[in-house]
Amino acid sequence: MTKSTNMKLAGGAVTLLASAAFATGAFADGETIAVFTKNQTNPYFQTVRVGADAAAKSLNAKTLHYIPTKPDSIPEQLSQIEDVIVKKPSSIVFIPVDYKAMVPGVEQINSAKIPVVNVTDRSEGGKFVAFVGADDYSLGLETARYLLKTLGGKGNIVIIEGVKGSLTNVDRVRGFYDALKENPGAKLLAAQPANYQRLQALQVMENLMQSNSQIDGVLAANDAMAIGAIEALDGANRKAQVIGVNGTKEAVDAIKAGKLLASGDYNGFVQGCVGTMIAIRALRNEPVVTEIVLKPTVITKDNYQPYDVALDARKCPSWDEAAKLGVK
Amino acid sequence: MTDVSKPTTPKQTFMPPRAFLSEDVIQVFYRLLAALLICVALSLLSDSFLSVNNILNVLRQASLMFFIAAGLTLVVLTAGLDLSVGANVALSACLAGTVIHVTKSPALGVLTGLAAGGAIGLLNGVMVTALRIPSFIATYGMLWVLHGVTYWYMAGDTIHGFPPGFRQIGSGYWLGLPIPVYLLLIFLAIGTIFAQRTTWGQEIYAIGANPVAARLSGIPVSRRLILVYVMSGLMAGLASIVFLARLNSAEADIGESLTLPAIAAVLIGGTSLFGGIGTVFGTFVGALILTLVLNGMNLLQVSASWQPLVTGVIVILAVWLDMKTRRRTQ
Repeated sequence: MTKSTNMKLAGGAVTLLASAAFATGAFADGETIAVFTKNQTNPYFQTVRVGADAAAKSLNAKTLHYIPTKPDSIPEQLSQIEDVIVKKPSSIVFIPVDYKAMVPGVEQINSAKIPVVNVTDRSEGGKFVAFVGADDYSLGLETARYLLKTLGGKGNIVIIEGVKGSLTNVDRVRGFYDALKENPGAKLLAAQPANYQRLQALQVMENLMQSNSQIDGVLAANDAMAIGAIEALDGANRKAQVIGVNGTKEAVDAIKAGKLLASGDYNGFVQGCVGTMIAIRALRNEPVVTEIVLKPTVITKDNYQPYDVALDARKCPSWDEAAKLGVK
Repeated sequence: MTDVSKPTTPKQTFMPPRAFLSEDVIQVFYRLLAALLICVALSLLSDSFLSVNNILNVLRQASLMFFIAAGLTLVVLTAGLDLSVGANVALSACLAGTVIHVTKSPALGVLTGLAAGGAIGLLNGVMVTALRIPSFIATYGMLWVLHGVTYWYMAGDTIHGFPPGFRQIGSGYWLGLPIPVYLLLIFLAIGTIFAQRTTWGQEIYAIGANPVAARLSGIPVSRRLILVYVMSGLMAGLASIVFLARLNSAEADIGESLTLPAIAAVLIGGTSLFGGIGTVFGTFVGALILTLVLNGMNLLQVSASWQPLVTGVIVILAVWLDMKTRRRTQ
């Protein structure tokens, strides 16, 4: 139950020609990459897993997924790390459920000498081959900037926060506030939590509409909450510009339909691809990039088309493209 | 305890009502008072609180919690607990959503949600009676099974976009009142009449008060227990339909945040975890109090960090006051 194993062997064997620096004998494909994600509920992590699978398949490796049954459970991810150390996969692609609490787990992986690539949430400690992620702060900042530009730099704004104190929420909301600071004409009416939950966001928005007769813009820290807020606005026959963060399929549909203004693209698919590519390349002694922070992209009605494809039809970037992504 | 005759067929005979100023009534009165006090405080603190719109808004928000909590009340009256209600809502909503998408028929979707909810309740009931598993464990296990099935089925995706006619159930109005509020009033009446005025309802109280005595006096305890779990499941199924219509989407993790508030509403409403004491109306007031607190915090812009703390304190206070007043009336 705790692991959904994915043993799809690559169909078309794409044998990469390794760079000439080969001292350790023959190059073996068929490595097993253990992929750790936070939960089975958030569509974002599904995109990471699909990306990881696509990259592994194209490089002739296998993936093994570890997902806590209880979303974001610290003890469960720790015990999964203990399992994986016994199983000894070739390499690990790792999203910590909590960037601080999982450091001891990462240290266990380090002492077991299994190479590990950190994806999405930057771990506070431990040794990693590389980090691949997006920057929540600039994602929040750029998406909020886009909304404020649409409103002409003025209007009444509300912020709907995710889980108070979670890393993603802290950074995204900080980006929202900084975008508001740049626009003195915009007035922040309220910042209220809805824990990344759609229903809670809908109800918070309903409540905020009671005490504020004019709301022009809504900054939501994820797409599910943004769409919950839109439902509340629709229900009250009111209009406001709404943005979310994550670039989920649902958000892209809502942007296409003209309901959602924009969503900051977290690009889990590319993170999954590139993290897994680096893990495999490191095993094969090919050159890797140790730090990739994706540049923030704001998905809007003008550029949603590339995102409007089925997840499993997406293609991983080539290594040359990947190596150029957001190198700091 | 009232004299319970052995019904050979499930006759809906009307029992003499319990004494009017019975303990339950006094308890509910205390709760209404608490809810009113919160209302008075909020109307003093916020201009927007006492508007017709906001009151309807609060009632509509309380409705979802009430549907789940009302079914749960019957289970708690038998000294049981149903921890699977939230996960039940999630799976039922995902199945109902799929059926509406595939068949384009909202009616079939509604039936699917109710059938799925009821079937899950039946499984819980069978585990509790035939397998003799304590309800806490049985429904906790069920919660995990349902989560597992729902996560696997949804694979991290969401189902969204439903026909406008169906969405009326969650966001429509009739004669100026939101549809969920009508549903709330209807089920409040049904639940109250069922529990207070029918033989089956009174038997449920009897089972909770003393299962051994209930069995000896000829009440078919197992069948009644299965009934309450099925009802709890059906109400979760109903909640899933309203949820789907209100949010226009279903996702695997919607159940995570529904179970505990529903249990809290039952307890704040004065239903005892030891069984035999409590009312559906009390649960309605409990759901109202919890919703009022959240609504008030949004209106007053209470900082995000403090909101969970305030909610927790309110729950503890309410149950403590309940214990105090109960001791006094006994």
